[in-house]
Amino acid sequence: MKTIFKAMAVALVATAALSTAAIAGPKDKPAQGKLLGDKDYQWNANGGEKDEAEHLKPDLKNGRDVYEVCAACHLPEGWGQTDGTFPQLAGQHPKVIIKQLADIRALNRDNPTMYPFALPDQIGGPQSIADVAAYIQKLKMNPEPGVGPGTDLEHGKKLYQDNCVRCHGQHGEGDNEKYYPRLEGQHYNYLMRQYQWIKEGKRRNANPDMVKQIQGFTDKDTSAVLDYVSRIKPPADKIGPKGWENPDFQ
Amino acid sequence: MIVNKSRALAALVVLGGIAATPALAADGKALFTDKGCTACHGEDAKTPLEAGYPKLAGQNATYMVNQMKDIKAGKRANGLSPDTMKPILEEVSEEEMQALADYLASLGPIAGKGDSAHPGKKLYMTKTCIACHGKDGTKPIMKTYPFLAGQDKDYLIRQATDIKTSTRNHGLTNSMQPVMHLVTDEELAQIADFLANVK
Repeated sequence: MKTIFKAMAVALVATAALSTAAIAGPKDKPAQGKLLGDKDYQWNANGGEKDEAEHLKPDLKNGRDVYEVCAACHLPEGWGQTDGTFPQLAGQHPKVIIKQLADIRALNRDNPTMYPFALPDQIGGPQSIADVAAYIQKLKMNPEPGVGPGTDLEHGKKLYQDNCVRCHGQHGEGDNEKYYPRLEGQHYNYLMRQYQWIKEGKRRNANPDMVKQIQGFTDKDTSAVLDYVSRIKPPADKIGPKGWENPDFQ
Repeated sequence: MIVNKSRALAALVVLGGIAATPALAADGKALFTDKGCTACHGEDAKTPLEAGYPKLAGQNATYMVNQMKDIKAGKRANGLSPDTMKPILEEVSEEEMQALADYLASLGPIAGKGDSAHPGKKLYMTKTCIACHGKDGTKPIMKTYPFLAGQDKDYLIRQATDIKTSTRNHGLTNSMQPVMHLVTDEELAQIADFLANVK
């Protein structure tokens, strides 16, 4: 009888150890917040790592090291792919990068391709998010981003003035403090894809105000306004020379 | 008291079953033969019957369990999955899948080095395959992603093509599908040839 109890105790301890190990894993991953379509979803209210990272003092040297993971797809220059497969990151506002990165790894923004690279075991915690965001902001931007067909730019300009300026700015420069992304010089095909996903509710961390704002846009309107946006030239001091290669990764 | 004793014993048997998970490797080996897997995938799980069938020895266990579950559920329904694999998996429980996968994974590791002069090597790197599947296909970054090193060439081409066209569209193929337009058929053939020859 005694032996049985001893054996049982051992078995119970072993089982307890197993379940603890099983629980420890997901704890390392940031928790998902409320999403577009959920009751009481509020844009930018998920807090968590975003709040933490934006108050940390960034270390550019570590930002470079973290960025090495990103460079596989977004390229060492942060210029992305002109066909829009991967967006340009260079010159983007730090708070925008922090929010999107925190959202992607908390599964608030679905991005299956990028997801594993965004996880803490790949790039580190909130400090690393702050570091890489600061590094990305300093990268000079692509002088030749992917653009649209160029056939309806006047119409696109008018639509932009009437609908987008209020948040994204006269020049598509966005607003760091408000987490509004810089749009100028972003690849046309990437803009088209994200815009479509925002319109359909597929981008679940989207701003409901924007979802509403663009519901009435026809395909022709969409193409025209995003073509116009992709062709806005960022300020000269933010653009890199043609063919520039990032010496940090040579 | 006798009742208590037998209850305690019954509990022990159950707990013993949980604690003895590593011993399932032996069961996995028996299952691999008993369920008929060896007929197509080879006795050693790395000598498939025909080109186009996958080698399984050393593959990530989690990846394999996910594939078996998805084929059984009809979610992975490309190529030979629905007509050849599915009927066999109908007779395989999830516990047995896990045992099979653990056994097959234990036949690894999948390692080796690719030919750095092969034109597929550069494509493997520039088309972003390396980001997820690791150097020469030997270091997938997630346990849910497959090793590619040394895999059957025709199998690699078939699967990558089916993912590109969304003919294979289950599970985590959604992480690969968005980059597949970067690769032409000719480039894919070169990448597959490079990977198949990692030794």
